[in-house]
Amino acid sequence: METNILYTHKDLVEKSKSGDRNSQYRLYQLYVDAMYNTSMRMLGIKEDAEDIIQDSFIEAFRNLKSFRYESTFGSWLKRIVINKSINHLKLKKIPVVPIQNHEYYVSEETNNPIKPIEINKIKNAIKTLPNGYRQIINLYLIEGYDHIEIAEILGITVSTSKSQYHRAKKKLIDIINTM
Amino acid sequence: MDDFEKHIQENKHLFDEHKADKSKIWQHIDSHLDTKKTNRLWGSPLLKVAASILMLIGAFSILNPFISSGFSDSKQNNIVHQELRDIDTYYKDLVSFHVQLVKNNPKLQPKDKEEFLSFMDELDEEYNALKLEMAKNLNNEYILEAIVYNYKKRIELIENLLKQINNSKKTNDNEGYIL
Repeated sequence: METNILYTHKDLVEKSKSGDRNSQYRLYQLYVDAMYNTSMRMLGIKEDAEDIIQDSFIEAFRNLKSFRYESTFGSWLKRIVINKSINHLKLKKIPVVPIQNHEYYVSEETNNPIKPIEINKIKNAIKTLPNGYRQIINLYLIEGYDHIEIAEILGITVSTSKSQYHRAKKKLIDIINTM
Repeated sequence: MDDFEKHIQENKHLFDEHKADKSKIWQHIDSHLDTKKTNRLWGSPLLKVAASILMLIGAFSILNPFISSGFSDSKQNNIVHQELRDIDTYYKDLVSFHVQLVKNNPKLQPKDKEEFLSFMDELDEEYNALKLEMAKNLNNEYILEAIVYNYKKRIELIENLLKQINNSKKTNDNEGYIL
């Protein structure tokens, strides 16, 4: 079953590998919105996200031959988008991790987790988080990366990723509770 | 995973709130993929020199039958000689210009550069000897063949160098995108 998932849109991917522009366009149509949303969540600026998406698809199509179905095409592409978005933030000198004591591990779980609330409230709260916190919350909660992957993406240690995530989540819940 | 995290993950799709301007982004991707393709083919100065040398070989091959079939008239012979010399000077300058480019290329490893240049030097020496021989006897088929072979060797060297540059580019491009 898992193998089948890896081969999602295999036909389109294979044709795109050989440069078939129609198949590339169909792949683009399938993934562009999801990738755009990922980039928007990280960058928050429409024009920047559009630039990143353009560059990501161009790079993906040029390097498609190196895609060997070790992940789904979507997660391969998303990793390109995430990497480019992170690099973009770094270029603009926007912190991608919170500027704090990175190695401090907060093991506490949230004592009073908020009750299921409207997603809109959570979305708005995420937008008000400081940049570094926002990235780690997005990567873990929305994009679904684990701490090992986040550590790799952000260039931090796994324990830093865990500790910063817990801090960020605590902050997020604080914001939601004051809304 | 606590209830808060579960709640977000179960409603992940609701976080995709943006719509990409699909046609605008695709236009950029499409035009960029086309442009780059053209640039790649003709952009490399080494490829240009390889093509130029191939033209030179072509010129030699065309002139060769005329020469060997007894171009006895000395006036005609002089014209051919002059023409060969002109072509030769032109391509020699072109090769030395591109050798200079290789010398100044910061992307190449010093070891590869040195190896390439030392082979080129050897071929230069061999070529000079052949040229002296050719001055003595223009109709010598073997010398002309040796000169063609000499140029072929140079092309081979340039091709190898191109492969190295492309391989290192590919390796760099693929970094970090295989999940």
